[in-house]
Amino acid sequence: MLELKNIVKEFGAFKALSDVTFSVKPGQVVGLVGENGAGKSTLMKILNGVHQPDGGEFTLNGEPVALNGPRDAAKRGIGMVYQEQSLIPILTVAENLFLGNEDRFIRYGRIDWKAMGKAAQRFLEQVEIDIDPFTETGTLSFMQRQMVELAKVLRLQDMTDGDLYILLDEPTSVLEKEEIEILFGVIRRIRDRAGIIFVSHRLDEVIEVSDQIFVLKDGETVRILANPPLIHELMVGRSAAGSYYRESERRAPLDEVVLEIKDLGKEGEFKKVNFDLKAGEVMALVGTEGAGIEPVMRSIYGLETVDSGQVKFRGKDMTNPSCSEAVFAGIGYVPRERKTEGIIEPMSIEENVVLPNLPKMTRFGLIDFPQIRKATNHLFGPLRIKAESRLAPCSSLSGGNQQKVVLAKWYNTGAKLFLLDHPTRGLDVGAKEDVFDLIREICGNGAAVLLIADTLEEAIGLSHRIIVFRDGQETARFDNTDPDVAVTPLDLVGNMV
Amino acid sequence: MKIKLNTQGIFLPFAALVVSVGLVGAVDSTFLKPSVLINLFADMSTLFLMALGLTFVIMTGSIDLSPQAVAALSSVVLALLLPSWGYLAIPVALIAGVAAGAIAGVVFAILKIPSFVATLAVGGITASLTLFMSDQRAIQLDTQLRASKLDWAIGDVFGLPNEVIVAAIAFIVMLVIERATPYGKAVRAVGFNEFAARAAGIRLLWIKLSVFMVAGFMSALSGIVLAGRLAAGSPTIANEFLLPAIAAVVLGGTALTGGTGSVLRTLLGVMLIAVFRTGMNFVGVDVLAQQIVFGLILVLAVGLSINRASSETVK
Repeated sequence: MLELKNIVKEFGAFKALSDVTFSVKPGQVVGLVGENGAGKSTLMKILNGVHQPDGGEFTLNGEPVALNGPRDAAKRGIGMVYQEQSLIPILTVAENLFLGNEDRFIRYGRIDWKAMGKAAQRFLEQVEIDIDPFTETGTLSFMQRQMVELAKVLRLQDMTDGDLYILLDEPTSVLEKEEIEILFGVIRRIRDRAGIIFVSHRLDEVIEVSDQIFVLKDGETVRILANPPLIHELMVGRSAAGSYYRESERRAPLDEVVLEIKDLGKEGEFKKVNFDLKAGEVMALVGTEGAGIEPVMRSIYGLETVDSGQVKFRGKDMTNPSCSEAVFAGIGYVPRERKTEGIIEPMSIEENVVLPNLPKMTRFGLIDFPQIRKATNHLFGPLRIKAESRLAPCSSLSGGNQQKVVLAKWYNTGAKLFLLDHPTRGLDVGAKEDVFDLIREICGNGAAVLLIADTLEEAIGLSHRIIVFRDGQETARFDNTDPDVAVTPLDLVGNMV
Repeated sequence: MKIKLNTQGIFLPFAALVVSVGLVGAVDSTFLKPSVLINLFADMSTLFLMALGLTFVIMTGSIDLSPQAVAALSSVVLALLLPSWGYLAIPVALIAGVAAGAIAGVVFAILKIPSFVATLAVGGITASLTLFMSDQRAIQLDTQLRASKLDWAIGDVFGLPNEVIVAAIAFIVMLVIERATPYGKAVRAVGFNEFAARAAGIRLLWIKLSVFMVAGFMSALSGIVLAGRLAAGSPTIANEFLLPAIAAVVLGGTALTGGTGSVLRTLLGVMLIAVFRTGMNFVGVDVLAQQIVFGLILVLAVGLSINRASSETVK
């Protein structure tokens, strides 16, 4: 039995897991559910040895273990099925299966390919795919590669004396319906050889395949059971008295339409997306990972291109712009990955803040330094950025202050449309509050906000309207301004999964 | 208003410069005579011009291996056209350099070929073209023509060689572009994190392409000054320049990984290279062997500048 008790994991000041208790026995399929940011992937990484817990107990058959990376985890029989990235496309299936463990096939200093092929065949049979083990892996379909991944993990049973535990992280996210059925069939049949941990955003699947379900919320295990309607509730929690519920501070949108989206579509991502966004309005897009809401947002900003439909910004066509065109027209984007796309860490706060607006802040082609100093100082107060000075590099700031710098950047350009992708991701409570205040202020100033929130409560607390997506299409739309009808997270979840 | 020059990280190359000047001066005190130093500046001006252009390319995280071919091209274009076209030959030679840079830039930024390959290929093509144009020989410049049309580059003002003045002007212009224009900030931003730079509305492709045009311009200017100094345009005029030029940029502390860097650092780097070279002459190292030293310096400088422990793979 693999057991976790009161596991804690911290990343700096951020507590990813605060109290997680979890167990799985051989012969059992255990589901793990939770919203984005609930701590699922951190937990998987602890099980897989990528992260080491900062507190709590991790035991295997009653003995405490400290895993030293995925290889060590594999030695003890814990294997992870990656979404194909662990396979090398130019090698054959057999070579991939035994990569790094070819010793047993060595005869007279060379590899006995026949023996390796035979051994590979045995594992491929267990996952029920009929392919020649000498096929080049790159030529397989996605589904087949996923099965090879699974076979690769099953192979661990030859290497360990103990039991086998298999981690499946979102294995269905890119599969078609029939393929999912095949996968589930395989999972059911291999369960008597292993304990299986299954993570998915799609609740119905988890319910279908699991014997037991662990619900994670904000880094804690909330409940262990298998009753579908209750799971919905546990996932979102019932603390509706969140700080973002400040209806008194919510203002009605203006009449001016800022953004019009007509029949927007992108192959494999989303289709037939339609909505209008008014000045002063916050619209939340809600959906699970892979529901297509982020691609919609990114294509408005020009980071992805659409195949069909039209985007109109302030009355003018702006389908598939370049990022610089979008910025110039008055759109600001706060990306989900702050450190990759939001800020340039080695550059100063001032440089980051004025970067998109620099061409406008010049005199005779040279940067007007007094002007940018004034602009930056002017933003420090209202945005509550806490830093030594405006010249401090952004790498010296906390996550919350970095996020405020990203917001300040678009504040400074006077953007008319803010695209906010998980603007509170990884922030502590105080910083979240500040970001919420800023979002309200942005709207109060007449800009429109398109929001992908970190949690459902956040989406409900901040937005005027909510559109729910599933599998790239709108499934429901809620008016959040009607005082008589309160939208609850439960209403949304029902349309998400 | 107090102007704060960002001098962080510049101490090490500066200290190295002071120490090496002191060392060479101790071996032979004539080295420290003003006239010797001024000549040294004049000699290194062409290398400096080339390294200046390279600096922006390296600051975006790319590399340019074509500068010596581009310099040779512009020297030959100048030598061919100067007799009949007069002053007009100078801008044409510069445009030839910018064009070569633009082609390399397009191959790199638009066709997405790694800059190392793009500039190696375009440099090779440029070098061949130059060989054809020149018929594989040096094209002599008429003494009178050279004196009248290229005096701005090779004459002197109150004993100060014009090469030094040209290099100083180019340096100041590049420093101003780097520190005080949106373009300079964009170059740095792209070097540090091109995804964030693009998301901030910077025209990524244009920046990545145009730094090669800047490098082409500077290499062409270097080629023109060289042609003036040597009284000829030649397809091999700038051979043996590439290694010291890259070494100078890196030695100054501009990181090959992009972002960190400055033309100010390149000035220090070129001075260091010049002092090393002079020092080697004083000590009697064969000119042919000097590239060995520059090669070693390059490896040493890169080894010191990147934190290899933190990067798992080096490609």
